[in-house]
Amino acid sequence: MELLVSILVLGATNALLAAGIVIVYKASRIVNFAHGELAIVGAYVFYSAGLITQGQSLLLTIAATAAISALFGVAIYAALMRRLVGQPTFVAAMVTIGLAIVLKAAIVVFWHSKSVGINLTRQTLYTFPGGGRLTLVDVITVSCCIAFFAALFAFFNHTRLGRQFRGAAENPLLASQRQVNVNLILALAWGAAVFSASLAGVLFGSRSMLSPQSTIIGLSGLTAALVGGLDSLRGAVIGGLLVAAATYLTARLIDPALSEAVPFAILLIVMTWRPWGIFGTPEELNRV
Amino acid sequence: MAAGSPYLRVTYAETNRILPEPYQRVLVVAIAVAVLVLPMVSNAYVIYLLNLTFLAVIGAVGLNLLTGYCGQVSLGHASFLAIGAFVTAILSNRYGAPVWLALPAACLVGAMVGFVVGLPALRFRGIYLAITTLAMHYAIIFVLTTYQANFGSSATAGISVPAPALGGYEINSGRAWYYALLLVSAGVVVFSLNVSRGYIGRAWVAIRDRDIAAASVGINVARFKLLAFVCSATLAALAGSLGAYFTGVVTVEAYTLELAIIYLAMIIVGGMGSVAGAVLGAVFMTLLPFGIERLFEALPHAWRLGTTSYGLQEAVTGVAIIFFLLFEPKGLIEIYRRTAEYFERWPFRYRELQPAERR
Repeated sequence: MELLVSILVLGATNALLAAGIVIVYKASRIVNFAHGELAIVGAYVFYSAGLITQGQSLLLTIAATAAISALFGVAIYAALMRRLVGQPTFVAAMVTIGLAIVLKAAIVVFWHSKSVGINLTRQTLYTFPGGGRLTLVDVITVSCCIAFFAALFAFFNHTRLGRQFRGAAENPLLASQRQVNVNLILALAWGAAVFSASLAGVLFGSRSMLSPQSTIIGLSGLTAALVGGLDSLRGAVIGGLLVAAATYLTARLIDPALSEAVPFAILLIVMTWRPWGIFGTPEELNRV
Repeated sequence: MAAGSPYLRVTYAETNRILPEPYQRVLVVAIAVAVLVLPMVSNAYVIYLLNLTFLAVIGAVGLNLLTGYCGQVSLGHASFLAIGAFVTAILSNRYGAPVWLALPAACLVGAMVGFVVGLPALRFRGIYLAITTLAMHYAIIFVLTTYQANFGSSATAGISVPAPALGGYEINSGRAWYYALLLVSAGVVVFSLNVSRGYIGRAWVAIRDRDIAAASVGINVARFKLLAFVCSATLAALAGSLGAYFTGVVTVEAYTLELAIIYLAMIIVGGMGSVAGAVLGAVFMTLLPFGIERLFEALPHAWRLGTTSYGLQEAVTGVAIIFFLLFEPKGLIEIYRRTAEYFERWPFRYRELQPAERR
C-alpha cells in the first residue's frame, strides 16, 4: 500500500513532466531538452512568490506562478522557436539545450543556487503500519496530475481549439489553409507545457529540496515521454508510472544509489527495443 | 591551365587545395609565426589559457568530424573525453605505463567505445540519435563513477596522473606543454583537413545532406557513419588523455553533460562542417568565460555580486548556442567568409550563385 502510494506520487510527477514534453512534441516535433530546468525554475518562482506574498495568500502565489510560467512559455515560442520554423527540428532541440543552460545559470544568478524547500503543507493524513506516511502533499500531487490530464483530454476532444490543435499537430500546412491559427496553437502548446513543468516542479519541491541539481528530473520526464511514445498523451501517464515504479523498486529492493541510473537504463532499453514507445506511432522515427 | 585567373579552377587538384588563395597562405604563415612566438612574450596565465584552448581544439575538431561533416548529433562527447582520461589515469597510476603506451591505449579504447556508441546511429537519425547518445553518456559516466568510488583511499579527490616523460624529458612546465599541445593539435587539424577533403569527407557530407541519396550512389552508409563515430571518439579520447596528463588528476565530476554541450556549442559557434570553424569556436568558447571574469573584475566593487559572475560564465554557453543558431547559423567562419569574399570581389559585388564548399 505504502509502496503503491510512493509509486503513484512519483509517477504523477513524471507524468506531468512527460505531458509537457509530449504537448510540445505533438505540436511542433521539437524535443524539449530544457523541461527539467523549466520545472525547477518554476518551483523557484513559486518559492519567491511565496516570499513576496509572505505566505498570506496561497491562492495569489499559485495564480502568480501559473501566470508567469504560462507567459514565459509563450515568450519562449515567440522569441526563439518561431524564428526556427522551417529549419531541421534538431536545430530547435539544440536551442532548447541552450535554453536549459541559461535557465540553470539563472538559478545561480537569481537564487544563488540556494537549496530551498517549498512548504505547501506538512499535514499527515494517515500513518501506515510500517511507519510510512500519507501526506496531504501526496494527495495534492496525484489529484493535480489527474486534474491536469482530465483538462487536457477535455480540451483535445471537446473544444474547437483542441480539435484545431490536433489538426495543426497532424499537418500544420493544411491546418493553416483551413483558417487554423497555427501560431496561436504553438504558443498555446508552449504556454501549457511550461505551465505543466512549473506545476511538476512545485509539487516536486514540496516533497524534496530544490537545487540546481534537481533539474535532473527532466531526464525522468523525457524517459517517461519516450517510454509512452513521444506523440502520445496516454503514453505519458503510463510511461510516468512505469519509470516511477522502476526507479522506486530499484531504490527499495536493490540499492538506492542505483536508482539514479534507472531512467537512462530504461531509456537505452526502450531505444533498442521499441524506439517509438508503447503508444507512439513508428512513423514518427522518420519525421525528426 | 587557368593561368592568370586565381578564381577559375579546372582540375580536381586545384579545387581540392586546402589554401587556394595566396592571401590565405600568408595568413596561415602569419598565424603560425604568432603562435610560435606567443609563449616567449606572454605570462604563465596566458600560456595556461592557450593550453586549455589547444585541448579544446582537439576535442572540437573531433566532434566536428562527426556532427559537422557526418551530421550525427552526439551528446556523448564528454564521455569519450572521460574514457580517454580514465584509461590514461588507470594505466599510468596503477600500472606505471609510460606516455607512449598510455596515450595510444586511451585512443584505442576511445575508438572501441565510439564504435559501440555509434551502433544506434545505424537505426536512428536526428533527435532520437541525440537521445541515445545522451543515455550512453549517462551509462558511461555511471560506470566511471562507480569505478572511481572504489578506487582506493583517494577516491573522492580523483586519480592522480604523473607528468608525462618522453625519452627522459619530462613535460611539466607551461611552455613545454604549450609546444607539445601545439604540435598535437596542429597534427589533428591537418589530419581532419585531409580526411574531410578526401573520399571519406565527401561520403560524410553526402550522408549528412541525405543519407538515402548517399546510399543510392554507392556509399556504404553504415560503414561511414561508424567511421565518423570512431574518428570522433578517438580524437576526443586523445584530448581527454592529454587533458588528464595536463591537469595531473582525473575526476569523473569534470565530465558532465554540460561539457558535451560546451563542445557542441564550440562547433555551432565556429561553424559546423568546417575545420577552421571548429578551431575558431574552440578558441572563442574557451576564452569567453575568462573574458567575462575579467570584465567583472574591472567593474566597481559593488557590482561584483558573489555568484553572479559565476552564473554568467555558465550562461554564456547557452546564450552563445541560442544566439548563433538564431542569427548566424553557419557560425563565426561565415563572418570570415563574407568579409573575405567582399574584399576578393572588391569593387564588384558579384557573388557566386552557389558558393563552393570551402574549408
